[in-house]
Amino acid sequence: MDSDRRGQWLRGVLDICVLALLSEGESYGYQLAQALDAAGVGPIQGGTLYPVLLRLQKTGLVTAQWREGSAGPARKYYRLTDDGYAALRAGGSSWLTFVRPVNDIVTKGVTR
Amino acid sequence: MNADDWLRALTTELHQRRVAADAARHVVAEAATHLREGGGDPWVVFGPPQQYAVAVVESIGTAPGPRPGPVRLHAAGITKRYGRQTVLNDATLTVRAGQIAAVIGANGCGKSTFLRICAGLMSPDAGEVTVSGRLGYCPQSGGTADFLLADEHFVLVGAAQGVARGPARRAGRAAARQLGWEAGGDVQARHLSGGTRQKLNLTMSTLSTPDVLLLDEPYQGFDQGTYVNFWDQLSRLRDTGAAIVVVTHLLNHLDRVDIVLDLTPAQVSGRQAPSVQGGHR
Amino acid sequence: MNRLVVVAEMTMRELLRRRGVLLLLLLMPLTFYLIRRDAYLGQSVRSLLLGVGWAVSTAALFATTAAREVEPRLRLAGYRPHHLYLGRVLGLWTVGLVISVPFFLLPMIDGADLRYGGLAAALLCSVAVAAPFGMLIGALLPREMEGTLLLLTVVTVQMLIDPAGSGAKLTPFWSTREIATWAVDHTDQGYLSRGVLHGLAVTALLVVGVAAVVSVRLRRRRHLRHLPVG
Repeated sequence: MDSDRRGQWLRGVLDICVLALLSEGESYGYQLAQALDAAGVGPIQGGTLYPVLLRLQKTGLVTAQWREGSAGPARKYYRLTDDGYAALRAGGSSWLTFVRPVNDIVTKGVTR
Repeated sequence: MNADDWLRALTTELHQRRVAADAARHVVAEAATHLREGGGDPWVVFGPPQQYAVAVVESIGTAPGPRPGPVRLHAAGITKRYGRQTVLNDATLTVRAGQIAAVIGANGCGKSTFLRICAGLMSPDAGEVTVSGRLGYCPQSGGTADFLLADEHFVLVGAAQGVARGPARRAGRAAARQLGWEAGGDVQARHLSGGTRQKLNLTMSTLSTPDVLLLDEPYQGFDQGTYVNFWDQLSRLRDTGAAIVVVTHLLNHLDRVDIVLDLTPAQVSGRQAPSVQGGHR
Repeated sequence: MNRLVVVAEMTMRELLRRRGVLLLLLLMPLTFYLIRRDAYLGQSVRSLLLGVGWAVSTAALFATTAAREVEPRLRLAGYRPHHLYLGRVLGLWTVGLVISVPFFLLPMIDGADLRYGGLAAALLCSVAVAAPFGMLIGALLPREMEGTLLLLTVVTVQMLIDPAGSGAKLTPFWSTREIATWAVDHTDQGYLSRGVLHGLAVTALLVVGVAAVVSVRLRRRRHLRHLPVG
């Protein structure tokens, strides 16, 4: 896939993806990047991910805390706030509302 | 450039963009952790330090600069003629504590004259200058004594304020170090390189902890590193509440100043810098 | 007081580091003395004194010109004008006294029949006048070159002029000459007292002149208002 285009799509939805992943439990930057990659979204670079996390933290959708992991260095763990859950619900459903018709259109076009 | 260099560069970039010190530390630490766990070239993972710093600033903004304090320098309606030629026409500049003003303009448009008038070294044909507090002035060149050592310059300037020799020398050397210069040697000023002599010149003007600091293109002969140190030093002095006026013909650092006075004829005006970084107005 | 001492000290340090210039300056009184040595002792000693006066005033000229660009910033740093010119003149007087010592000893070793108290007084006069004289010229003329030429002219005139003539009293080093006459020719006390009086008056006048020029140059300009930090 054209990675430029993928980047553009991701920019619009990365914060929702991050919120969604954090809704499963607290996590840190590197783990989030790996989870996104494993889910098939593709590799996410730190330069893209951390600014998103910083913005979410600044707007109060996540809180962050530096903590020593069970094994390994101190990491900055992010956790969803109540506002974050609310933002995930609102943002997530509007994303779905958006992609459903897009999928329909594209599917029709591709399978014709 | 290895990861440590990259992180150091990022630190500098964040500092220069006036990201709050605390936030900057977290950003750098988090990037370091990520690089340690995932490996990889920071230039690929995060991109150039400058670009990443920009992204960080877009996300979290910058520290609110210390609010500009009371007016320290007010030059109003400064007019100066040499014979029939009018060099300065009604130039006006107000600088508050915690602000940097750049005086720019083409060669010969009276930048140095304006500064000398502000320092009271020259009388204008019209206009008034009000200075609050102590004044420091760094001439373009020639403000040093050829046959004296750097230490002796510090003692000489220190004595003016009643500072004893030892403390004056220590203060001078510490200020010189901020510019990346170890000033304690036994080299007479005339044997210093041009750039180093300018560092001495500049150090002398900051030594008396002035409330108003007037600098006339003080960076001639500086190498790139010193030039960066110089602007960092200015930022530090500003953050401690100094009002600073810098004459400059280099426009690439105007994003780090709060006020720009363009003395180019026909549009003599004091205007706010168009791109002040970080709410520092 | 400390400010005066520091300015005086730095003036001395600067001067003493100009070794080449100092040596050449000291060479002048020495050659003056040696050239006239065989003819008439009085002329020889007078030349020596004039040479010391020339050396000290030239040193003062150099010191003043060199300080021209530094002084405004020292003024801004907190010195008052009188710290600067008095400190400088003190430093120059000290250097002058030090370089006078060998020239005091020179005739003594040479076995000259002199009133040595008179020679000392003449040297003192010479140094006292020379320092502010060189400073005044340095303050008035923009470059060392012009100053040096002017000093040379003054010294030459001083050497050639008839000390008894009416115009001679207007020359700065007339006092030295009068006292030297007293010391060499064993003339009456009138020479000594006239000389000392002239020397004191000229020194005072020159210091006042320097003070005036420096104070005007480093004055508080009227357009600039200083407020304390409130």
